[in-house]
Amino acid sequence: MNNEYQFSQGTGYVLPEYAAVVPDAVTSGRAEHHRILVVGGGITGLTLACSLAQLGVDCVLLDEDNTVGVKGASSRGICYTQRSLEIFDKLGIFERILAKGIQWSVGRTFAGADEVYSFDLKQQSNFSLSQQPAFINIQQFYNESFLVDRIGELGHAQIRWNNRVSAFKNGNGLATFTIATPAGEYKATADYVVDATGSKSPFRQWLNIGVKAKKGDDRWCIADVRFDTRPPTERHTWIEAPFNDNRAVWQHLMADDVWRIDYQMAPDADPAYVSSEAQVRQRLAKQFGKDTQVDIVWVGPYAYRSECVDSMCVDLGEQAVQRSAEQSPLGAQKLPYATRPSHHPASQIFLIGDSAKVVSPFGARGGNTGIADADNLAWKLAAVVQGHAAPALLASYHPERHEAATTNVQVTNRTARFLRPADGAERLFRTAAIGLAKQHPFARALVNTGRMAVANPYAASPLTDAALTSSISVQNVALQWANERAGDQERGLQGAGGQVAMAHGASAMGKNDQKTRPNACLNDLLRWAGTRPLLLVFGDAAGRLLPDTLAQLRALAIAGQVHVVHVVANPSQVQVRETVIDASGLLASACGLPFAKPLTPNGSTRPQPPTTTLCHWALLRPDSYLAARGAQLGSALVCAVARCAGVDSQGQQA
Amino acid sequence: MTQHAALANQFSDADGFYEALLDAHQGLSTEQSALLNARLILLLANQIGDAKVLANCIALAQQNSPT
Repeated sequence: MNNEYQFSQGTGYVLPEYAAVVPDAVTSGRAEHHRILVVGGGITGLTLACSLAQLGVDCVLLDEDNTVGVKGASSRGICYTQRSLEIFDKLGIFERILAKGIQWSVGRTFAGADEVYSFDLKQQSNFSLSQQPAFINIQQFYNESFLVDRIGELGHAQIRWNNRVSAFKNGNGLATFTIATPAGEYKATADYVVDATGSKSPFRQWLNIGVKAKKGDDRWCIADVRFDTRPPTERHTWIEAPFNDNRAVWQHLMADDVWRIDYQMAPDADPAYVSSEAQVRQRLAKQFGKDTQVDIVWVGPYAYRSECVDSMCVDLGEQAVQRSAEQSPLGAQKLPYATRPSHHPASQIFLIGDSAKVVSPFGARGGNTGIADADNLAWKLAAVVQGHAAPALLASYHPERHEAATTNVQVTNRTARFLRPADGAERLFRTAAIGLAKQHPFARALVNTGRMAVANPYAASPLTDAALTSSISVQNVALQWANERAGDQERGLQGAGGQVAMAHGASAMGKNDQKTRPNACLNDLLRWAGTRPLLLVFGDAAGRLLPDTLAQLRALAIAGQVHVVHVVANPSQVQVRETVIDASGLLASACGLPFAKPLTPNGSTRPQPPTTTLCHWALLRPDSYLAARGAQLGSALVCAVARCAGVDSQGQQA
Repeated sequence: MTQHAALANQFSDADGFYEALLDAHQGLSTEQSALLNARLILLLANQIGDAKVLANCIALAQQNSPT
């Protein structure tokens, strides 16, 4: 038993099936070569493929079966965070998830008959700036099928169902795969390989990657069920449930009126016994009453473990160069990527999602951080393939996402330890903490039933400006285009090539509509910028762009390295075509900048003399992470833009 | 200075503290563990210092018995 849920019984879900794909290479016998090959079509691999497609970059994705989810079995991940929903919004599937899923924000924690504490995420400011809700609960396979549909709409990514990678060979730096299809095998090589095969990834062994692992004796049994009654749309957590021998229970709503009830079992419990229908029905009757009609959708026992690979990126070319250097008279000498002979094809392999790290399910840190891995890697791969960035940009994937993986393993291990304390001091402190938490707010901070997944900050990234403690994700705030053709603005800018930003003065704006209703969001700006960083310019203390500033910004925009948008508080401040109105200063706040209030709020044109070179700005990466911010245009901005293009401050390719 | 114990959350990193606390007890016998707790309480009490706050903490701990 591992921490992939094992199907044991129930009616299951009906999953969509897709036609097997047999490429010509099977009959021709000629090996294929791809720029980007994604192995594994789970939530992470599909998010990556869809992100690449959204950025206009081709890839091939191999999936070993012909459906999403696990056939006849589990719904796996159920809880999607605001950050994941923002990513799905950027990809164009958020509306589908919203329509199908269940929103929740209230969580209650119980011990025995008492409520220990409750929270409402809607009241928390760190969730309030985004267009997306704090959480949506939905079965994972729905999101996967929405991604498959979206990829079909976008093109670029080819999903090959029933294509199973059966062997790997490192051909002098070039990754070569043998792929089995229903009609026979073929071989394929690729420049960039993404391992999205999940927790049983064969790549770890193929690439000889070290794994730090931890196993516990805690056992759980999930029951996904339908009732004839409706519990409240809240997350309920019992640390000690009287109806489960004082062990933990989770109660969560999903789509289709299905509830996930997750029962903690006795340590080292027998999986077959605890998931037998008689046992499951007995537990449900104890919790919901004998008379409640229960339809079991599926049941699965699981044991969790935590795993984290040492490296989330392997450069086969670098290994090959090192090997040949070791054999040369010069001895072992690590040669930088840039010195590799250009005629020598070589592969880089990236591990994403569960391939790289496996965590216990507490806090929904598995799937959500896999989605974040994909979002992080997609724009970097796309920028390199499109020639907008040097290959050195890809070296930032491992430090950023390994920092996130390490944090997520640590956070989930702490929760696991609280929920399954060792006898002695660990149990003693838990009993004390729960007792105090019922009376005193301070002790609630010690009660750890899961710390919900967040967009992990990047402190150790080569892309993060030294002036920032860490790079944080900027929430998807609502905005209004200043242009009167607001609805067409995105297309209009693209039609102009995106290179002439800041070229039009306010006179081209036509009449200024005083009513400011949000008709766009930060994701629209990010989509417009594609694989280029997005420069949000907030101007001086009054939100103005002074003539010198404007000239500098025009030069930057025309050079095409960055997409520039002026953010103002009201339509009277519009100076350039690429302007968005953020009436309440939400965007500045999300970027950690002060909100510039206009000196002339009612559109009067009383001129203000330029007195300062102050110009607040924030540089956002295509994944909405803050790369840098400042109060003056200068070298910090220029260096940050260069770093986003894989070039260090000396103009070298790292 | 307040004469009552602070009951709002003042931890800068509650989960990190809790982990360090449990780690400190790992591998200890029951007696060693109780002694570690005793030392820790005395150390923390000295950090607080204020007699009235400490008396208040003792009273709160006495009142809070698990149900």
